[in-house]
Amino acid sequence: MTDTELDAVYTRLCKTMTQVGEPGAPLFLARFALLAIDRIGDAEAAKRLIDAAAEDLAPAAGR
Amino acid sequence: MSYEFVPYPFEAKRHSARLPALRDGLEKRRHPVVVVGGGPVGYTTALGLASHGVPVVVIEADDSVCSGSRAICISRRSLEIADRLGALPGFLEIGLPWTGGRSFYRDTEVLHFSMPQDENQKLPPMVNLAQYSIEQVLLDRAETQPALINIRWQTRVTGIEARDDGVRLTLATPDGDYALQADWVVAADGGRSFLRDALGLKLEGTSYEGRYVIVDILLDSDRPTERLAYFDPACNPGSTVLVHKQPGNVWRIDYQLRDGEDPDAAIRPENVMPRVESLLSMMGEKGAWKPIWSGIYKANALTLPRYRHGRVMFAGDAAHLVPIFGVRGANSGIDDADNLAWKLAFVVKDLASSTLLDSYSIERVAAARENLSHGTKSTEFMAPPSFAFDLMRTAVLGLAKRQPSLSSLINPRQTSAITYATSPLNAAPERSAEFAAGPVPGAVLPECPITIADGSGTREGHLTDLLGPHFTALVFSDDSAVPAELEALDRALAAKQVPFKRVALTRRLGDAAPHGWDHTGRLFPMYGAEPGTLYLVRPDGHVLGRWRQADAAEALAAIDRALNTQSNRE
Repeated sequence: MTDTELDAVYTRLCKTMTQVGEPGAPLFLARFALLAIDRIGDAEAAKRLIDAAAEDLAPAAGR
Repeated sequence: MSYEFVPYPFEAKRHSARLPALRDGLEKRRHPVVVVGGGPVGYTTALGLASHGVPVVVIEADDSVCSGSRAICISRRSLEIADRLGALPGFLEIGLPWTGGRSFYRDTEVLHFSMPQDENQKLPPMVNLAQYSIEQVLLDRAETQPALINIRWQTRVTGIEARDDGVRLTLATPDGDYALQADWVVAADGGRSFLRDALGLKLEGTSYEGRYVIVDILLDSDRPTERLAYFDPACNPGSTVLVHKQPGNVWRIDYQLRDGEDPDAAIRPENVMPRVESLLSMMGEKGAWKPIWSGIYKANALTLPRYRHGRVMFAGDAAHLVPIFGVRGANSGIDDADNLAWKLAFVVKDLASSTLLDSYSIERVAAARENLSHGTKSTEFMAPPSFAFDLMRTAVLGLAKRQPSLSSLINPRQTSAITYATSPLNAAPERSAEFAAGPVPGAVLPECPITIADGSGTREGHLTDLLGPHFTALVFSDDSAVPAELEALDRALAAKQVPFKRVALTRRLGDAAPHGWDHTGRLFPMYGAEPGTLYLVRPDGHVLGRWRQADAAEALAAIDRALNTQSNRE
């Protein structure tokens, strides 16, 4: 994927999420994540991506 | 705490209005070209026309070059244009050259980018200087040509009557009002163009809501010249801040207003200065500083659908408004001027049909759309237009350090030379397709050092030094001997009085002059050239056509077609 293609995909994701609206955004991203996991087709790779995405994010208060 | 504003380290000369010779309120002399607007675009257009020997009147409403913080970065492409117009020394003398920048997320550096720069270049990728200096450098150059460039200060356009056979402008000055007639008018009268409104034309595109405060300050610091971007910095949480060093210890700071901030309140010194203070403190700048100027900016991505309206040609901000992120405003306007000047000069001199001017509109509207597409991407990152862009940006900034392949999304996509890939002037695409390397028709020339032999001796130079206010045939050869067939091209174009120069580019230093010697051996492969290869270059430095083995008849046809081109594409 070239920088220009990455740019275009990024913008498409942002615009689609804007249309879905803020309340629906977590579900939209969750569905995208599931489709991406299915497409990756490699359990270990997917688990590593899940850990990488969670890195630095503070756990929700009170949990 | 009170904040005392200080002036810019630049004193603008004031110019008075002058009335020309009139008869019944109408200027006696009719002009081939009148440029409305004495800014970077207007002066570049005037200098371009003058380089072709075409006289031009420049109408400027103000009494001096501009003030305040406007354009600050001049690109390599703009410097190449200034070089052809004899204005380069001023830019290099004043401007601060730079090649890259850094972006930070909170306190972590997440991107260090470089603009293309290598040993082949004559000019830096970017220089910083304030717009008043840009205008002054161009004005100084224009004032060396008083016989060709006539500048009318304190003269405001109050009306326009555009007809098929000419344009009549009514003008107001402190010394009285008058009208003049011109064959052609260039509207370079800026973002709030009077001429655009007067002709009932509308910009199309997107206006963004996000606002930036712009502050110029005086600060003595030996920090290097680079573009600094701070996302969500400790000094201004939730905001984005840009910092650019300029000549004369002037620093330009742009920071984003947070959602819901009142722009009128945000611009008050008591709200601006503490943010500057905390930014400088975060950067570790401990020197004393003083504010010079502040203003507010809102990003626009707008263009007219066409830049030619009969005998009125729109250029620069009058034609399009591109977001500041990526520094495409003044630079794209200077490119407009360079594209327009030779075409208008050829039409005025009756060397081309007026349809050549349609290609100005086609090429520069396409360039504006490319600039807008890059500028829009930068703006969507710098001033996210929705929660989604904001959320995704936070994700990119947080991941970029660990995942460098994502950091291209942070890159500000600085302006670069645009290829007129779909221009109706581009010649012989099937011939161009035979090349494995080199610039395609519509592209500008990649730079390369050469040794220039001019008959009196040799000197070190660059390929773009060979360009001028003429078509240029670059003929690649072993030595400087000229194929007889190409001498016929010289004669044919001389008979039509088309300005034309043929220069040999050689593998060996020859004895015939002039020619350029590829002493590094890099030029031939860079251009996919072999002995016999021909590149035909337009006066604005864009390739018209190229042939692996020169074909004089096809080259002549390419120029003929360009100058009489029939346009059905608008």
